[in-house]
Amino acid sequence: MYKYDYIDQTLVNERVTQFKDQVERRIDGSLPEEEFRPLRLQNGLYHQRHAYMLRVAIPYGLLSSDQLRTLAHIADKYDRGYGHFTTRQNIQFNWIKLEESPAILADLAKVQMHAIQTSGNCIRNITSDAFAGVAADEYVDPRPVCELLRQWSTLHPEFAFLPRKFKFAVCGAKEDRTILLCHDVGISLKKNPQGELVADIYAGGGMGRTPILGSLIKENLPWNVLPSYLTALLRVYNRFGRRDNIYKARIKILVKALGPEEFARQVEGEWARIKDGDDNFQQSEWDRVANHFTKPAYKSAQSISGQDLIDGAPANEQVAFARWLERNVKAHQVAGYASVIFSLKPHGSVAPGDATTEQMLAIADLADQYSFGELRVTHEQNLVLADVEQAQLLALWHKAKAQNVVLPNIGLLTDIIACPGGDFCSLANAKSLPIAKAVQERFDDLDYLHDLGEISLNISGCINSCGHHHVGNIGVLGVDKDGEEWYQITLGGEQGNHAAIGKVIGPSFGAEQIPDVMADIIDTFVKHRTADEAFIETYRRLGVTPFKEAAYLNRSKESTAGVAA
Amino acid sequence: MSASPSILKSHSQATSVLLYPKGGKPSIIANEWQVWQGATDESTTQNGELNIDYQKKVLVPFAWWLSHGQTQAKDSGSAVAKRIQDKTIGVWFAADDDILKHTEVIESGKSIWPIIGADFPIFRDGRSFSTAALLRERFQWIGEIRAIGDVLIDQLIQGARSGFDSFALRADQNRDVALKQFDLFTVTTQNSWRDRRSQLDSQLEQIQ
Repeated sequence: MYKYDYIDQTLVNERVTQFKDQVERRIDGSLPEEEFRPLRLQNGLYHQRHAYMLRVAIPYGLLSSDQLRTLAHIADKYDRGYGHFTTRQNIQFNWIKLEESPAILADLAKVQMHAIQTSGNCIRNITSDAFAGVAADEYVDPRPVCELLRQWSTLHPEFAFLPRKFKFAVCGAKEDRTILLCHDVGISLKKNPQGELVADIYAGGGMGRTPILGSLIKENLPWNVLPSYLTALLRVYNRFGRRDNIYKARIKILVKALGPEEFARQVEGEWARIKDGDDNFQQSEWDRVANHFTKPAYKSAQSISGQDLIDGAPANEQVAFARWLERNVKAHQVAGYASVIFSLKPHGSVAPGDATTEQMLAIADLADQYSFGELRVTHEQNLVLADVEQAQLLALWHKAKAQNVVLPNIGLLTDIIACPGGDFCSLANAKSLPIAKAVQERFDDLDYLHDLGEISLNISGCINSCGHHHVGNIGVLGVDKDGEEWYQITLGGEQGNHAAIGKVIGPSFGAEQIPDVMADIIDTFVKHRTADEAFIETYRRLGVTPFKEAAYLNRSKESTAGVAA
Repeated sequence: MSASPSILKSHSQATSVLLYPKGGKPSIIANEWQVWQGATDESTTQNGELNIDYQKKVLVPFAWWLSHGQTQAKDSGSAVAKRIQDKTIGVWFAADDDILKHTEVIESGKSIWPIIGADFPIFRDGRSFSTAALLRERFQWIGEIRAIGDVLIDQLIQGARSGFDSFALRADQNRDVALKQFDLFTVTTQNSWRDRRSQLDSQLEQIQ
């Protein structure tokens, strides 16, 4: 993975010094809170319900075992012994003291990490495919482009105070695993017929209050001109994005107002003037960065069939191991290797995406032992060991069991994506964690879950949509009505190549109703499902009506909020 | 032109400004340029004619230049013509002025204005960073660009790199802390008006 050079390290160290000075000025009173707020946000520091929360960037989801150990120590030393992996490949610590935040950043800098631009109205942490470089369906390894863009966007002076936050996703595989179309800018990498690396650019996607899928605004853009093209794009947004209304300030509103064609034309006009400048990446820069993303020293190994793997397990473990192989182990580019997903979604015991200090330390050791000392963070809030020898899968499974991260529920109903919600976040209208817990407890039968097949359930505690409810097959959104917490349900959302925004089924439900409503929706699916149809396929075939009827049957109007907020 | 309450509030003009020429060192100097707010200001006569103290240099709103200034400039007896001769009139851009719509006016202004201002109606409004960048890149403006309005210490680095070389800091900002900002970063990872990215800088390669 990428290693900082003198320039990267100096920049991060100097950023720590700068932030330390800003915090000191805040504490001595010379910097008022209102003016400090955007500065601390640009360093990932939020003021939440109980304490400060620090969001640390895990650029494009890639983490070394030593970095994970540092995160574990930070959780132990400055927090309450755990961290929360987020839907944007970051990690959050919930119980931070303002005066200790510069020391945490200094600790992070020692392992080439930072919290730069993890919040604020600027270019945020760039996310990518958690299986970059190993996925069997990959066209292009997106990581060199991600890293080049990370550097380009870090402390970019012109775009430090945009109208609103700005999120990039980069993918390079046949199947999109980045929710590319729900980003302010989605960069889809591929090779053109001449074998050159080019990008298709999608703009104006996003979730939040107004969920919109991005529009294709540029095709076959050579990789090296990304800086000038993105400068043009961001310049149009910086100049003309709305600043009068925070809910209309994202680029999606500008793209929608102008129309994608006109937006693309304006970007093209700006780009024409700057496209040949030396902002553009040079081959030497590519070479320097790409050199860090070479393949690890794979052993030459034979591919092992699933059945042979299962047969290798003790008889009394074969069923459980087979289930884990099916759900939590993914195909790899290299024969004899596989990628393993550790589920951070145990049923009903912890918040989705949470990992304790002890777990992080143990997982770091497993990464060293089984996966070349590297890990990935998925936007579904799980962890990945990307390069595991198939022959070692059984041994790894045994060891990971002790850390409670082998539940075979990846992609299933209980692999819930959820934001921290009203338990922590000061923006939330409602809690999300108790909802996740209640659903996981209700659907605790693994046989049943496996029979149901792939279903994504995403929960957000407010319309900011950090829990990505819009793209969940089933989405749950916390809403506030007269000071009470209610939950609105959407169906039909999807991520990936068929990305779709879910539709609201009707009035909101009370928290205590959600597990039953979920059961009614699932029962409807089971009743109408043909053969091995996935939930989303049945939904697409039948439309919302039967699900909606089941959800409201035998539920009085009084028991629901009666409004679709 | 957008309302700029922050300037109206601090209508007493800055007595000093931070000057940071490209390639030079930052310093605090006396301010010679008053910022005129335009037609809503008491310093206009009813027909919109500029009517302020001749002893002071003035930055007028670009919108006023479009509506009045450029016409008056053609009348050799006007106050504007006299100021052009004396090099005592410049313009400032509001955050929502679309400078690319007025290419010809700006091109001809280049030989008239000794200085251009760009306004920050509130510190967290970054539009004027793009204005400054465009003035440098597109218009090849080599004169002074001054940040006016809600100009705070923690926006100086971005401003200086985008294209500004002087800053009318808000009155309550500590000048000593402000001067130190430009020493904070010795490397950069993208090109800007002042520097190319460090990766392309041969001297840094030698350090490594």
